[in-house]
Amino acid sequence: MSVIFILISASLLIALGFLIAFIWSVKTNQYEDDYTPSVRILFENDVKQPEEEQHLKK
Amino acid sequence: MELQKFQYDNKTVKWFAYATMFWGIVGMLAGLLAALQLCIPALNMELPYTTFGRVRPIHTNAVIFAFVGNGIFMGVYYSLQRLLKARMFSDFLSKVHFFGWQLIIVLAAISLALGKTTGKEYAELEWPIDILITIVWVVFGWNMFGTIIRRRERHLYVAIWFYIATFVTIAMLHIVNSIEIPVSFWKSYSWYAGVQDALVQWWYGHNAVAFFLTTPYLGLMYYFLPKAANRPVYSYRLSIIHFWSLIFIYIWAGPHHLLYTSVPDWAQSLGVVFSIMLIAPSWGGMINGLLTLRGAWDKVREDVVLKFLVVAVTAYGMATFEGPMLSLKSVSAIAHYTDWIVAHVHVGALGWNGFMTFGILYWLIPKLFRVDLYSKKLANMHFWIGTLGIVLYAVPMYWSGIMQSLMWKEFTPEGQLKWQFMDTVTKMIPFYATRAIGGTLYLTGALFMVYNLIKTIKIGSFLANENAEAPALEKVYSTHGKEHWHRWIERKPVQMMIVSLVVVAIGGIIEFVPTFLVKSNIPTIASVKPYTPLELHGRDIYVREGCYTCHSQMIRPFRSETARYGEYSKAGEFVYDHPFQWGSKRTGPDLARLGGKYPDSWHYNHMLDPTSMSPGSIMPSYPWLFDDQIDVSSTVAKIKAMKRLGVPYPENYENIAAADMEKQAKLIAANLNKDGISILPDREVVALIAYLQRLGTDIKNETKKDTLK
Amino acid sequence: MIKEPESLLLCYHCGEPCDTETIHIAEKNFCCQGCKTVYEILNKVELCDYYTLEKNPGLSQKTQIRADKFAFLDDDILQTKLIHYKDATQSHVSFYLPQMHCSSCIWLLEHLGKLDEHIIRSQVNFLKKEVSVVFNHQDTSLRKVTELLTTIGYEPHFSLNNLTDKKTKTYDKSRIYKIGITGFCFGNIMLLSFPEYFSLGNMEEKGLQQLFSYLILLLSLPVFFYGASGFFISAWKSLQQKTLNIDAPIAIAILITFGRSLYEILSQTGAGYLDSMTGIVFFMLIGRFFQDKTYNTMAFNRDYTSYFPLGVTLLDEGGKEKQIPVSNLKTGQRIKVHSGEIIPADCILFLGKGTIDYSFVSGEALPIEKHIGEIIYAGGKQTGGALELEVVKDVSQSYLTQLWNNDAFIKKEDKSESYIHSVSKYFTFVLFSIAAASAIYWYVNDALRIWNAVTSVLIVACPCALLLSATFTNGNMLRILQKYGFYARNAGVIEQISEADTIVFDKTGTITQQGDSAIIFKGMPLDAETIQLIRSLTGQSSHPLSKAIVQSLPFCKLLPVKNYEEVAGLGIKGIVLGQEILMGSPEFILGRKISTDNGSRVYLKINNQLPGYYSVQTNYRQGLPDLLKKLQQQYKIALLSGDNDSEQLKLKELFNSDLLFNQSPQDKLNYIKALQSKGKKVIMTGDGLNDAGALKQSNVGIAVTDNINNFSPACDVIMDGNGFSYFDALLDYCKQNKLIINISFVISIAYNLIGLYFAVQGQLKPVIAAILMPISSISIVLFTTGMSSLLSFKLKHRVSKLPQNSKN
Repeated sequence: MSVIFILISASLLIALGFLIAFIWSVKTNQYEDDYTPSVRILFENDVKQPEEEQHLKK
Repeated sequence: MELQKFQYDNKTVKWFAYATMFWGIVGMLAGLLAALQLCIPALNMELPYTTFGRVRPIHTNAVIFAFVGNGIFMGVYYSLQRLLKARMFSDFLSKVHFFGWQLIIVLAAISLALGKTTGKEYAELEWPIDILITIVWVVFGWNMFGTIIRRRERHLYVAIWFYIATFVTIAMLHIVNSIEIPVSFWKSYSWYAGVQDALVQWWYGHNAVAFFLTTPYLGLMYYFLPKAANRPVYSYRLSIIHFWSLIFIYIWAGPHHLLYTSVPDWAQSLGVVFSIMLIAPSWGGMINGLLTLRGAWDKVREDVVLKFLVVAVTAYGMATFEGPMLSLKSVSAIAHYTDWIVAHVHVGALGWNGFMTFGILYWLIPKLFRVDLYSKKLANMHFWIGTLGIVLYAVPMYWSGIMQSLMWKEFTPEGQLKWQFMDTVTKMIPFYATRAIGGTLYLTGALFMVYNLIKTIKIGSFLANENAEAPALEKVYSTHGKEHWHRWIERKPVQMMIVSLVVVAIGGIIEFVPTFLVKSNIPTIASVKPYTPLELHGRDIYVREGCYTCHSQMIRPFRSETARYGEYSKAGEFVYDHPFQWGSKRTGPDLARLGGKYPDSWHYNHMLDPTSMSPGSIMPSYPWLFDDQIDVSSTVAKIKAMKRLGVPYPENYENIAAADMEKQAKLIAANLNKDGISILPDREVVALIAYLQRLGTDIKNETKKDTLK
Repeated sequence: MIKEPESLLLCYHCGEPCDTETIHIAEKNFCCQGCKTVYEILNKVELCDYYTLEKNPGLSQKTQIRADKFAFLDDDILQTKLIHYKDATQSHVSFYLPQMHCSSCIWLLEHLGKLDEHIIRSQVNFLKKEVSVVFNHQDTSLRKVTELLTTIGYEPHFSLNNLTDKKTKTYDKSRIYKIGITGFCFGNIMLLSFPEYFSLGNMEEKGLQQLFSYLILLLSLPVFFYGASGFFISAWKSLQQKTLNIDAPIAIAILITFGRSLYEILSQTGAGYLDSMTGIVFFMLIGRFFQDKTYNTMAFNRDYTSYFPLGVTLLDEGGKEKQIPVSNLKTGQRIKVHSGEIIPADCILFLGKGTIDYSFVSGEALPIEKHIGEIIYAGGKQTGGALELEVVKDVSQSYLTQLWNNDAFIKKEDKSESYIHSVSKYFTFVLFSIAAASAIYWYVNDALRIWNAVTSVLIVACPCALLLSATFTNGNMLRILQKYGFYARNAGVIEQISEADTIVFDKTGTITQQGDSAIIFKGMPLDAETIQLIRSLTGQSSHPLSKAIVQSLPFCKLLPVKNYEEVAGLGIKGIVLGQEILMGSPEFILGRKISTDNGSRVYLKINNQLPGYYSVQTNYRQGLPDLLKKLQQQYKIALLSGDNDSEQLKLKELFNSDLLFNQSPQDKLNYIKALQSKGKKVIMTGDGLNDAGALKQSNVGIAVTDNINNFSPACDVIMDGNGFSYFDALLDYCKQNKLIINISFVISIAYNLIGLYFAVQGQLKPVIAAILMPISSISIVLFTTGMSSLLSFKLKHRVSKLPQNSKN
């Protein structure tokens, strides 16, 4: 079952990569605030769209 | 330094949306055709391009990579820009990504119709397309990470993490599983053989489901569900935990697709355990999604978008509960090879992916075109027809699946198998019919949607570049003086990781593959010999015609199976199978021990008109095999390729292979002649017969030898 | 014509009924100028989505803020304290905005850049009610930003304590790393252990198994050296103090497991137990994390500094006003204190009439009058007009703040060690004796297996399940209690409560509701017209009594008041609809003092007639009587009031126990001390600064507050005022904690015994350990959390029966 070597090593690599990503995200305070972001995404962009903007319908 | 002005790119989103709709219809049509062919074999139309064996791969690839794929990109390109408050990294890359992907789809459709296939489920596409996919995928990643680096919002919303996971993992899965050695431009052999190939294939197969059909859609759910309901997700913290736990478990669940096969026990159990563990994170996500709507169910009653999303999430919950259940050995013993699996898959595909995509489209298109949906009524009709369609699809398949499985396993008091295989097939027809009706309804609903959205687009006015503004990210500072480190990691966090991963992964694989694979290709059963050139050609025809879509080549160690098909399959029997052809569904009987079961003439007539040999058969006939000639020109290349893969042909065998082949072909032709059939030995059917007669015979020889001693 | 529907117009900005003047612009109504201005500001820069996101998201702007209020923010030293990052152009500062309450707030506060282009970025942390602002300090200033926030209705909360602590209130990352890394290693080790479990040793490919076991070893290193480090450290500490806390046996188990596994793998004699080891560590880390719940907005160790203001108006020789930080205040300086401001230090009244509200500081319910030349103690709030004072003591030396020099505040945080530690002592003892026993047994029978047996015993007997049972029970209880407005500082508090036998109450603000009083009019009945007159007049005054009266009156439109006059400390007068109305103290209306038995009286005089007077008495929290009845069955009860004994009679009915009045903060503290010296375990419930000492001294200090975001003194528990009516239920619930832990302890022992059964025979297969470990851990987790939730139903039931429960 030597192919397991490949699968394991590949999978481990990915997992390791995500572990790094995880550490990075904690380190850079990604999760310091675990509520506000969920509200923030609801805010629509409220900038005026100049009407002379190209009306290329489809 | 005040607000930076920039524009969101809606154009690419629009294109992907259109592609999603178009390919959705195409894929579903293909599916419907395949479904009908099972109850009305005449619909195979005696044409190579329209036989079930080729239509089914077209269907699966179309719905997964064309419909869902474009759906993913549509959602990602829309949400990513807004979540990061930045335009996509490069319009050029966006273009390349879009057109590249569509090109891949077109090529896939054509090549599959022409029978250019690797014979590995969900990875049927041949090596040139595989490379193209890799390139386009990298373009996608480049574009995504570029945007992430240029973001104006420091926090990466959980959806983005799901997108990242999708990108990284799919890249790895695709590369590892597609390692194959080209024979010609349109033909290659999988680098792995038999059991190993199976393991890699289902490690890929499962994770393709996990990371192409699930994680990106979870990301979309976490963005579009709150948006549509206009309320924050129930618990953002839970969603974060959801992501990290899912990511650490998912990758391991693959082997449960191979329970009771010749894969080693521990690998199977591994698959089972991790699949069970998966329930937790999956349901975490579902609950989080549904609870987001707590106290807003009145909204759901009004808003058709929410209706679709709710059903989608529920379907996800059902599928992710059923999945682990199916991975239990005892359940798998019943469900595997039957329509149950088909039902399970389609609850996920039609419910989760399909409805999620529809919901997003209904929400997105009016937004892009700054107008209300053309007809809410029509959309509601779509919802109800679609739901009914899913029910009519799933229920009969569950039913037929269990029924057929039980019939297969039923013994008479005398200890004889109660049912001929054919009996179990004819019993299925009405269910296949109902399933087709369900599919038709679902498709009709989708057509309603397309009409509805086209109307909406007509009345709306599209805004290609949407103005937006946001402050630039101020530079990070840290109170504990680790500043430079922070800055560095902040600038190049993720793509560093990706690059290193890809590099190391590729490096590792290049290093691993030869050493291990060659070693492990040494046969463990003395009597198992490489295929003769003719058989090899026959096998390639078997692969080309997609026989594996209906016939398994893997007898599990159950009395019911050994009694019906013979000695159960051993790992050692497949060491020369590039690729493995175990299959995953028994619409027809297992073929692992077909060799020598019938005379050559039987196969001849059966291929010409299956019903003549086995009345009631729903197998298509393959008339072209009797006119087309074996592609002798490729023989040398094939033998060479096999040798490179470690198949022990004698020294310089490729030079005498042609001669050998002719000899064997003549023999078969002569044999057929005895039964009053005259056929030129250079016809494809001869090769196919040679292969079929070889199936599973090696072990028989061994047992013979034993008895002689 | 009272309560005509149109008068019930709601303010478009703050949603409050438009009383006096209703301002209309663009079909929108505003209750006051303040609200209107905010709207106009937002409207000008097209930020009106603010109003579309939520309905009437704003807060009432009735109370105007003085122009120079934030002048003190120009002070450089102060800025360096407040701004936590600064370079050539940018300054990073974060404000605490208690008013933040909805998604509109988030939206607006993150669009500050539109209101002031020099604000580069503003980001909200909603749970902390914080907005961190990056601004260009060359074009704008900290003061300007603060004033901007104030004008749009979010006046930042500054206090002395902003200067003291360094704003490093970030969560403990290392613990999250530990969980992440351990989880990762655990998962992969499990995976790599599967061949061992299932093909049980005889694997077709030895090479594979070799590689796996080495990979496992590799993966276990970060867990052993990093993930588990916490346990080793704490175990070591406890050993140094000649005690055995629960971490000791755990540390031993981990150590032994690792050591033996290391040996087995390197010597290739076995697969080791690293899967179990990492699993145990993982579960325990989760448990610890789950238990240490932190509340974002609440601080449990506030001192007077977070109550005192940050800025004060200084009067120099020329009598010119100048804003300076309180910290710079020196004795002898002359300061000005406006109405509604807090006296920052002990002073002598120099000019003006003091009407000082001490309710929060000393507990007196009603404001006290101070005359020129009298000493005014720090902490009181001036309710009358502006005062001029001369500082006689430094802020830190004043009468009130001295309390914090008491040793009660020096003694270390954790009041007593958790009782599972004491349990674990015996556990460890038993454990070692078993190990010894099996050692002896095998020495006699088969000496070769001693090592094997002893190590296995120590491995399986790891009391991790015990630790889990405590952590998960407490953690879950903390969460449940929080649902009922009962915020405990940490898990230890729950155990403390379950041991308490005495409860001491403070009066004002604790058993009485702050500012909520019973108001009865004694005299001839008043008609609607008159009531409207009275409401109009009292509506003008900010005196607590006036406020109380306004609240008590039915809603009606306020009429304009001519030549209104507030005689500080005495009363108010004015002319409404041509009728002259006077309201106030006896000497103000009747010209003579009247001694009242309890509460106080506000006399009314309309056109020289005396219709009667309002009797104002403080109200007790609803459900107090039967609450006390219930509590007195289980606890010794006492009441300490900083107030005068005017309500003694009334309180006697409620308390059949110690009633002490006119208690100084120090007295309270001493009283608690006295009880404790008698071996009592005391719960102190208070609210004000005057209780701070007692709260600190007591075994469990519970601060009662009607708004958990308000200031509350140092304590172990912050309790929402509504929680008071089911206080006993809360206490009962806390008592359950031990029960649950004990039961789950028994369960965990059961698992240990199973393990021991194999261990003592020296035949503990890794797979057995690997199965036992997660099963025991998970079943404990399920049991404890389930049990603690189950027992909370009683509490839930109790709360649901309440007439008005504002609980979610």
